[in-house]
Amino acid sequence: MAGIKKPSYMFDMVLFELADIVGRENVSTRQADKIAYSVDYYWVPELWHDRGMEKPCPDYIVFPSATDEVSKIMAVANEYKIPVTVWGGGAGSQGGALAVDGGIILDTKKLNKVYDIDLKSMTADTGAGIIMQHLEDMLERYGVSTMHIPASTYCSTLAGFIVHRGTGVLSTRYGKMEDMIVSMEVVLPTGEVINTPVVPKTASGPDLNWLFIGSEGTLGIITRVKLTLKKLPEVRRFQAFIFKDLASGLEMGRRLKVEGLRPSVIRLYDEAETRGQVKRVLGIDKKGFYLVYGLEGFADIIELESKKAFNIGRELKGEDLGENPGKKWWDNRYKFFFPPYCFALPQAYGTCDTVAAYSDIEKIYWAMKKAAESRFDSIRFIGHFSHWFEWGAMLYARFIFDDPPEDPHQALYQYNEAWNVTVRAALKNGGVINEHHGVGLKLSRFMKEQYKDSFKLIKGLKEMVDPKGILNPYKMGLGKE
Amino acid sequence: MMEISKNIETLKACRFCPMCRHVCTSGNISFHESDYPRGRGLILDNILEKRMEYTSDLVQSIYNCCLCGLCWSNCEGGYMPHKLILSSRTDIAEKGMAPEAALKILESIESGKNPYGRKSNAYKGTGKKADFLYFMGDYIKFSGHPIADSVINIMKKAGQEYAILEEEPTDGKIMAILGFRGKAANAAKSLKKRFKDIGAKKIVVSDPLSYDCLKNDFPGYGIDLDARVMHISEYLEECISKGKIKVGKVNDTVTLLDSEFLGRFNGIYKAPRKIIKAVAGSSFKEMEKNGKYSLATGEAAFLFNEKTGVMGKMIGSRLCEAVNYIDAGIAVTLSGAAKENLGKCSNIKIFEISEFIWQNIK
Repeated sequence: MAGIKKPSYMFDMVLFELADIVGRENVSTRQADKIAYSVDYYWVPELWHDRGMEKPCPDYIVFPSATDEVSKIMAVANEYKIPVTVWGGGAGSQGGALAVDGGIILDTKKLNKVYDIDLKSMTADTGAGIIMQHLEDMLERYGVSTMHIPASTYCSTLAGFIVHRGTGVLSTRYGKMEDMIVSMEVVLPTGEVINTPVVPKTASGPDLNWLFIGSEGTLGIITRVKLTLKKLPEVRRFQAFIFKDLASGLEMGRRLKVEGLRPSVIRLYDEAETRGQVKRVLGIDKKGFYLVYGLEGFADIIELESKKAFNIGRELKGEDLGENPGKKWWDNRYKFFFPPYCFALPQAYGTCDTVAAYSDIEKIYWAMKKAAESRFDSIRFIGHFSHWFEWGAMLYARFIFDDPPEDPHQALYQYNEAWNVTVRAALKNGGVINEHHGVGLKLSRFMKEQYKDSFKLIKGLKEMVDPKGILNPYKMGLGKE
Repeated sequence: MMEISKNIETLKACRFCPMCRHVCTSGNISFHESDYPRGRGLILDNILEKRMEYTSDLVQSIYNCCLCGLCWSNCEGGYMPHKLILSSRTDIAEKGMAPEAALKILESIESGKNPYGRKSNAYKGTGKKADFLYFMGDYIKFSGHPIADSVINIMKKAGQEYAILEEEPTDGKIMAILGFRGKAANAAKSLKKRFKDIGAKKIVVSDPLSYDCLKNDFPGYGIDLDARVMHISEYLEECISKGKIKVGKVNDTVTLLDSEFLGRFNGIYKAPRKIIKAVAGSSFKEMEKNGKYSLATGEAAFLFNEKTGVMGKMIGSRLCEAVNYIDAGIAVTLSGAAKENLGKCSNIKIFEISEFIWQNIK
């Protein structure tokens, strides 16, 4: 299995068949598009581009605007055994959207029709390729939101969030993307179209939604989704504290989450990130561990919750920074991800997010930091804890090499080694290989380490639904054919 | 030296950044990655680093940008992709790689014809000398005579002595937008001479492209205009506030479509609102996206996929939906191009701002 090479008459034959499905204007073989689709938000293709290296790129880019078109494209791909890679916003950081083996890139952004907004059931029924901010703009007109609003809401698609199990900045209250799914329409790798049950809480066997949530375009192409909505809150309030040590900050977050309050946001930055990113972006110049939390809902209820939450901070000897620094974070929450505020080449950097029980999460932070810093003299390790569950918290850890090797092969080797030491430190201490962002190419090699014998279930599922192994090869530890 | 190297910081920032995807006008029409600033950044990075040469295919992506500047408005880093695009078009044109459709527009302008490719006569000038000059710009001169008529009627009503250049020459703005910067600079120099000959001390322009040209491009060409430049909306505001003209009231809900070249690139937001509010009072309603974040009106949407006239219509249908959403009965534009792009938007009356004022003058 591989892309069909040009020039050949088969190249034109396949082009004709694809054009017959979606129209000639919706199939691109242009050089401009091949350049643009050969780099996603993964550091490695960015490095490869920067160093002028040859990158894997698709032979065809197709833009279906209806489910039956997706189905027919998959039938053609099966017929000729052409790899198909699904592209939403291309904003994933794991290399999941790269056409490593050439073939077809299926861009889903034209699957963007909003079919229904049901304010009684509080659901939205929409094409899965819609850019999330476009959906949010529409929902705002009705005073509602999905409440899934990560920084990538500007650039990622709804399905992109589902297949990478995205987490938004309000997830502590409203859950991750995966918690917002009512039902889905999916095109299987063979071209068959299936629908999951109309509502999710049935006791009739396993939940089919969960076969495709987090599947990263390896098991099917999500074309339409019904998802839950929430009313926009009457008030949104924020409060910031500085803690002298990590343990106190973590305890603050834990108590906010488990003591009956309903925080929408809890973000605890380590000392390095407080002195670095927080100072640079927000202008808050403090030593220690910066924590911001948010509460939202009816004003009178939030007034009461705010007092309770504030008292916890005081009990834990946090330095009260007031509401404004918290509000400042909210107003600038996406700024961290824009140049020049975000990390960028020539730096090498990676987000090795993980999640663990409260009993383990601090230990994991120190273990990852130690593993990284003891392996590399030149590495910087920073992190914040930004998604909190009843049982544990997510660590958004990052490593940075400010001056990686110029040679791309050496740089890539060093980069992968940094991943090895940090991810394995997380696994060894009660964590997992990631919390959101997905697996893609980047973390593929760790899938078997995390799942051990149970990985054969995932592998078996892949072989069953995609017998020719054409959908998003090499990703999620599933290899090729 | 390539012009794009002057925008290297923008290029290097945009090449890997997708954060303006939700607002990019051209990208959200075609949905091709090569039509977003990130895709264009990757292409231009390859050109800058000499990994590849421009091809007609790559050139197409560069000319698909409508220069609306929404990417800049929404960029927390303040990068200006529209300037990068303009510089790359200059490089492209200098290499003789400009698209056929761009060359046709250039040919029309140079031969004194309608750059928009339609058969139409140029608006006639007055020829006389005067301190006060009304400058129409390329669109209104050929395709927006009712707008010019409205301006002239208002000026007469205000007792304004005025002149209009006979056979008004181009200001070169469209040439500059299409990459023909040298020709644009020459056109600007010729125009400056005409301004001087007629003795203009105050120049009132209708077309936001012309306003941007006189305000920003002329100094870039080293031309000191030695005259005050006003947009027609600023002049109308002055007329109303000084009592030179009086306006009536409309009962319908009125909205304003901000202009990218007047608003986003020159910060003129207040004057149009003041004069519309003078007529509409409390029935003025802002667009959902307005001011700095207003939708593109397609003032510079000359080409798309090497075709002319296509992108404006697509932009217009988005604008129409947005106007309908706020339930406005009247939409006021700041350019003839925006008015044309809106086209026949159902249930909505569309006026360029001078037409709107003339319709409601007492």
